[in-house]
Amino acid sequence: MKISAYTLLTLFLFSFQVTLLSSFNPFGIQPDFCLVIACLIGFRVGPVHGLIVGFGLGFLQDLFSAGPFGLHTLTKAGAGFLAGVFARHLSNRRPHAAFVPVMACSGLSAMVFLLWSRMGMGLGEMLYGFSHILLPQAVLDGFVAIMVNWVFGRWPVEAPSS
Amino acid sequence: MRGRVRPGVFWGAGVIRVSVAILVIAVVAFALLPQQSQFLFHMLGEPLADLVAVPVKGMATVDRTLREWWMQYIALQGLSQQNRQLRETVRQLNGEVNRLREQAYRAERLASLLAFQEDKSVRTVAAKVIGRSVSNWYQGVILDKGEDDGIQEQMGVMTPAGVAGRIVRASMSTSIALLTTDPNLVIAGMIQRTRDEGMVQGTSQELVRMKYLPPLSSVKTGDAVVTSGLTGGFPRGVLIGEVSRVEESDDGLFRAAQIVPAVQSRHLDEVLVVVSPRSPEAMPSPDHALIAPGPRNPTP
Repeated sequence: MKISAYTLLTLFLFSFQVTLLSSFNPFGIQPDFCLVIACLIGFRVGPVHGLIVGFGLGFLQDLFSAGPFGLHTLTKAGAGFLAGVFARHLSNRRPHAAFVPVMACSGLSAMVFLLWSRMGMGLGEMLYGFSHILLPQAVLDGFVAIMVNWVFGRWPVEAPSS
Repeated sequence: MRGRVRPGVFWGAGVIRVSVAILVIAVVAFALLPQQSQFLFHMLGEPLADLVAVPVKGMATVDRTLREWWMQYIALQGLSQQNRQLRETVRQLNGEVNRLREQAYRAERLASLLAFQEDKSVRTVAAKVIGRSVSNWYQGVILDKGEDDGIQEQMGVMTPAGVAGRIVRASMSTSIALLTTDPNLVIAGMIQRTRDEGMVQGTSQELVRMKYLPPLSSVKTGDAVVTSGLTGGFPRGVLIGEVSRVEESDDGLFRAAQIVPAVQSRHLDEVLVVVSPRSPEAMPSPDHALIAPGPRNPTP
């Protein structure tokens, strides 16, 4: 049951991100909704769930990405897992508590992409990528996470029994 | 207790250790054997891509419908003003058409004199954009046509306005195109007026730069940049953009030019994939591939 729900969720989220959400890019930066959701599931349900959902979402993104295969899968799975581990040491689960872990996971994930996609293009391209893509996206993902976490907070979330 | 998490079977320390171990192994494999691990991922994902394309295409239809409604609404707002502007544009264009018609007649006569052969065999496949980049690091679009329609990797993507990008991945029913504004895409280009050749590459600022132009090139602002046809994917002479600034390279060995791309990647809805950029009879034989001269029309 949970696997079916996660499958549907990943399919819907991915389709939503590449179509309807693609027009939403404040300051020229598109929030990574898939990463935010993977982190929030890790944050609220547990690291393994974050890892599973992150893996699924990342895999779908890799299928339709113009970049190398596997980067999204590994970074999203890692981000979902890390956010879950972070949450285990957190007593405050209010919406704004998601800001720091999601921002940190987004920043780490973006760093992998920055190194991979801009390596060998000169320091200027790297610095531009860092200041104009990595940092704004990490902050934007953090704010999106607060909003989504607030919406999640309307409904109780429970870990599955099997 | 809203939002509290109830510990379950998935929460065991053993499961976490196993998950971490799998993730670490995957990361190490990806770092040490990037080609092999990417091939493995690709093989596993290939059949899935066609399945996932179904909801993506459905959502793209919803997106397109919503966008059309919105555009119609916006269009109504400034209709009268737009009408006036369009009438003025039509008047200007009529004059331009007349002038160009005269030039076309003259060019036709000259072409027949010089026995230029028109290359009619550039075959293209029209495709719709059903999705956009999945991240901010690669500027790409998802197309609704794939290998079933004859699309393969490295094929050129263009619109009637000019070059749009290149296919980097293709599944049976969809394909992914990397856009010209992406720093990872390089196309062989040529300044149309001076015939100087160079490499055209995107930048992180969503602009395009032409590099390795000869140091004595007389390139100037406003010059058109077209494909040189030397690398595969594009026929010769497709518009890439217009020079907006000329620069000297840091080492002083070459000149460089900043280009405003002819195709605005954010507004791509339909594209043409170049399935066959030139006719087989027009292709030089392998023996003469490097020395066969193309039609040159030097203009100082």
